[in-house]
Amino acid sequence: MRTRPSRRAAKYGLAALVSFSLIAAACGGSDDNASDDTTADSTADTTADTSDATATSDAPTTDAPAGTDAPEGTDAPTGTEVKEGEIDIGMNTDVGDPVPGGTLRYGLEADVDGLNPTSSALSAPGLMMANAVFDTLTAWDVDGKAVPYLAESIEPLDGDFSKWVLTIRQGITFHDGTPLNIDAIIQSFETQRQDPLVGLAVKPFYPETGAVDRIDDYTAQFNLLEPNAFFPGALTGQLGYVSSPTWIAAALDDPTLNQKPVGTGPFVFDSRSPDSVTRFVRNDSWWNGEVYLDAVEFVPVPDADTRAELLLEGDINALQTSDPGAILKLDEDSSVQQVKDETSEEGFAMMNSGSPPFDDIRAREALTLATPEENYLNLIGLGVLRPASQRYIPESKYYNPDVTMHMDDPAAAKVLSDEYCGEVPENCTDGKINMELQYPAGSVVLDQTSDLLIQGWSGSFNVTVQTIPQDEHIQEAALGQYNVVLWRQFGAEDPALDNVWLLCRTVGGISLNWPKFCDPSRDELLLQAQATTDEATRIDLYKQIEQKLHDDYLYIFLAHTLWSNAFAENVHGVCDRVSPEDVPLRCVSNGRNWFSSIWMSE
Amino acid sequence: MTDLSTHMEHGQANLLADLGQMPAQDVTQKGRRLGIGFWLAIAFMVVIVLVAVLAPWLPLKDPEKSYVIAGERPPYSPSWQFWFGTDQLSRDMFSRTIWGARISLTVGFSAIAFGMLVGGSCGMIACYFRGRFNAIISFVFVVLLSFPALVLAILITSLLDRSLFTISFTIGILSVAPVGMVSRATTISFADREFVLAARSLGARHPRIILRELLPNVVIPMSALALLGVAVAIVAEGGLAFLGLSVQQGITWGKLIQNGAGRSDLEDAPWIAFSPILVLFLTVLSLNFAGDRLRSHFDVKETAL
Amino acid sequence: MLLLVISMLTFGAMNVLGDPLFNILGVTASATDEDSLQKIEAAKEEYNLDDPLPVRYAIWLGGFVQGDFGVQFSEDGQPPVRNLIVERLPRTLSLVILAQLMALAISLPWALWSASRADSKADKVSTVGAFLTISIPNFALAVILSYILSIKLGWFPLVYEADAPFPSRLHAMILPAFTLALPAAAVYQRLLRTDLITTLQEDFILTARAKGVSRRSILFKHALRPSLFSFVTVFGITTGALIGGALVVESIFLIPGLGRAIVEAVLREDFPVVLAIVMIVAAIFVLLNLVIDLIYSLIDPRVRR
Repeated sequence: MRTRPSRRAAKYGLAALVSFSLIAAACGGSDDNASDDTTADSTADTTADTSDATATSDAPTTDAPAGTDAPEGTDAPTGTEVKEGEIDIGMNTDVGDPVPGGTLRYGLEADVDGLNPTSSALSAPGLMMANAVFDTLTAWDVDGKAVPYLAESIEPLDGDFSKWVLTIRQGITFHDGTPLNIDAIIQSFETQRQDPLVGLAVKPFYPETGAVDRIDDYTAQFNLLEPNAFFPGALTGQLGYVSSPTWIAAALDDPTLNQKPVGTGPFVFDSRSPDSVTRFVRNDSWWNGEVYLDAVEFVPVPDADTRAELLLEGDINALQTSDPGAILKLDEDSSVQQVKDETSEEGFAMMNSGSPPFDDIRAREALTLATPEENYLNLIGLGVLRPASQRYIPESKYYNPDVTMHMDDPAAAKVLSDEYCGEVPENCTDGKINMELQYPAGSVVLDQTSDLLIQGWSGSFNVTVQTIPQDEHIQEAALGQYNVVLWRQFGAEDPALDNVWLLCRTVGGISLNWPKFCDPSRDELLLQAQATTDEATRIDLYKQIEQKLHDDYLYIFLAHTLWSNAFAENVHGVCDRVSPEDVPLRCVSNGRNWFSSIWMSE
Repeated sequence: MTDLSTHMEHGQANLLADLGQMPAQDVTQKGRRLGIGFWLAIAFMVVIVLVAVLAPWLPLKDPEKSYVIAGERPPYSPSWQFWFGTDQLSRDMFSRTIWGARISLTVGFSAIAFGMLVGGSCGMIACYFRGRFNAIISFVFVVLLSFPALVLAILITSLLDRSLFTISFTIGILSVAPVGMVSRATTISFADREFVLAARSLGARHPRIILRELLPNVVIPMSALALLGVAVAIVAEGGLAFLGLSVQQGITWGKLIQNGAGRSDLEDAPWIAFSPILVLFLTVLSLNFAGDRLRSHFDVKETAL
Repeated sequence: MLLLVISMLTFGAMNVLGDPLFNILGVTASATDEDSLQKIEAAKEEYNLDDPLPVRYAIWLGGFVQGDFGVQFSEDGQPPVRNLIVERLPRTLSLVILAQLMALAISLPWALWSASRADSKADKVSTVGAFLTISIPNFALAVILSYILSIKLGWFPLVYEADAPFPSRLHAMILPAFTLALPAAAVYQRLLRTDLITTLQEDFILTARAKGVSRRSILFKHALRPSLFSFVTVFGITTGALIGGALVVESIFLIPGLGRAIVEAVLREDFPVVLAIVMIVAAIFVLLNLVIDLIYSLIDPRVRR
């Protein structure tokens, strides 16, 4: 007969445990003091919202909201003959004729919250998906000119660049059967313009009322506040996506429909599993010709290395990346075709000139001087990225050779910071200027970039680091609640379309002029340059503007972002896109490509 | 973060299981020598703590500085110049691992110190006093236990700042409940014992009883638990860091591991992640081992009950 | 009751320390133009933001109990939280269940084997092995395992795909589940082994042996039963801990499950999602405790009153 008196004690203990939870569950709740919070103070209350969700594990800096491709377009324009040289098209030639079939699996940097161009802030991945399901009113040709695409024609009214008459093609229907007419265009445009978030990038250029006039069923007139000779370029991006008015109206009532886009594009929305895969299938009745692929699937893979790995293993057939390490990895495999584009954005550290200490130009210059650019190019850029002194690569016609960035000079920085601290000691501690560096959490590359920059800056600055969620990060930047952030911008194909980030009028409570820097004389130059098509004048003006940007010390340019769109061996036709008038169109733009001309062989 | 509750509970369950063992067993287990393994583990801990504390005065390379060799791109593999190699920014991994110990160990020890203080005393007092008080404290414990640990940690750190204090405090809070449970269970087994009853009958007052009679007996199994707990806390910090949610400023082991855990880094430069992993592992191992040995050595059985 | 308290705490914390208006409206919340002000008013009305905290809590609770978990603030179009839960809960659950099954499958035979060879050389090695396994942090283990098995050997896929057919989804889950299972298995093994050794020395075992009952039969039929007692406790607690561990593992293996959802939700301060997930997990914990108690009464008749 067993005697286990001591077992009882154990049982008691365990049973006590269990029964207490039962008792607790059974009885009413007694008073509890388990508190989650102790310190009374909390950090600032800015919190996340529905702005864009670019993952940044890919790039050293972040994307702007409203897409760098919002109403104002992207990339630096180029002379005709240099096109081939700037975008390195590494696609196989001599591949035969297109055959239908195949599913293209595309690896993206991140997933997006929604796919409604009128209300979702589309970042690079979002714009990529949009390219499958929407068509734009205009498109960039290989010479850097915006030609009509969904639109039939777009012309200035009597040569006045502030009034543009747009005529759209007839006989096109949306995926849901709604016919395409000018009202759809007007609705897309106006909804976007009125959206409190997305509209921020659109509103500054149009009058409050009468931004667009309906002329007839297929014609409308856009009325701008100032002449802009490059307005057609504004319709190549998010502003130019045309969505089904039926869908837009329905989505206003039921916002879950934002996940199910309806456009006119070569592919129709099929299914979406957030953070996993979004699928589009061929649109057999596409208006601009034959579509070859059966389907396109987008797979968000935030880690750049993993994404590259998946392509090399054959789990995906294509990807977009701007991560130097991933690009090097892809370079090693000769079967991978890459389209490399250096003409898009620049990565930089951006200073907030609206609040101390960087409201003082000496602090700004000091930070620039102290930046360890050489180490950055070597250790983060991995020799793949080219240093940037301005918004244009050396091959660009707007490139100003007199503008050079003086960095890697901690001694000179110290002189300035000492001077500043002498005058404004309250912003300094131990003779160094106090500042905070902010960037999105969750990216190892950004952590490394931050550490590296601090190495150089710590001679003159006391740097505290703040990593916050991506959404919050963009918000804080817009609200001007930062000292220095790591950022990416200025990828417009024509510089006129980057004005939104620089004009005085976009400095505000919510400011797209992120550094909150207003210079009326700079505004004048910018507006002048957008109003004329005379090359020589423009070149001169932009060179002046670049000099100003340099002298004002607002952006510490680190490198030109290198985008690579990589494809498996059997993917072809990426650069064969043409407009309805058979004008060859630009292959890639800011890390995005289009899908109508792509086909796959065995 | 599997380990936090599991380990605590495992330690507790083991404790209780041992408490319930047959006297026959006790003879073989009780008084088991601590053994050389125990002292090795303790020695290792002492060394690590010493090195961490003395780091600023040791001839280590600057943990934040990039030692780039011209013509060669980092990361550099382990060599005489860099004992643990360098990371992608060519910072010395050996130095960084040691400096990482400072924060990681601080978090571990202070978190458990907090947990022990609060949880231990609550548990002891609760059990001793029984009744209403007991029920309330137990309820609190269960609430804390039922909250998914990591979620609580993330919640707190996202709503407050991510300073050393907050992180330590958060992990400390998480350890209060398991510690409290064990402390209570241990106290239970003592509160009825003769010497307590004797003290009571002699007219000793409650605080005196708690301090003089109970505490010394409870402390020993608790210190075993403490060692285990520190290990868990250090791992907890590592887990948080891996999700990018640990201490904002400064180097921790978790951050170091996160930095080196990228796919291509693992393939091309595994030492970036494995240096901190190795040291972390050895530390946790030592703590676990020492705690385990301590527990089985000092297991007070209910002999003669 | 317990769940109530937890929900109150979470609700309070998020609303007091965070800013609901910002979460719902984003940047618009601080805009001052006509349009935005209207939206702010509308949001305030819809979400009762002008009411005092307790009232808002009551409203939320009312809806919650009826199955209305609210909408996801941070997702475009604000889909109902319910969708998120329905989609992700099964994944996390299957991960945990798979892990526990694996842990059982590994630990039981292992424990039986080592108990029957107690103190032999092989057993000593296995004990050390178990110890080492427990000491590795789960994120480090995940990194190591994924490196060896996914990258180097290519046995398992790198990414989990939600819309792949069931077999390949299962395949993609094996490695993450194994990462969770391994340390749990080691814990179980240690516990079972200790218990088994104890039980094996009981009188009734000797009796059975004398009667000629086979060794195997002894192990399985007679020895396991009493050992199950404390095992069940630890099993239950481990399940809870595994849910927490699933968080880390989901992040590393990129499985879109509940763990990742709540991490993101907390970071983006998406209250309804956080509340819903916390409540669900807490409910699971409570359920688990109930089940454990039930099992107790089944395996040990003396506990039944």
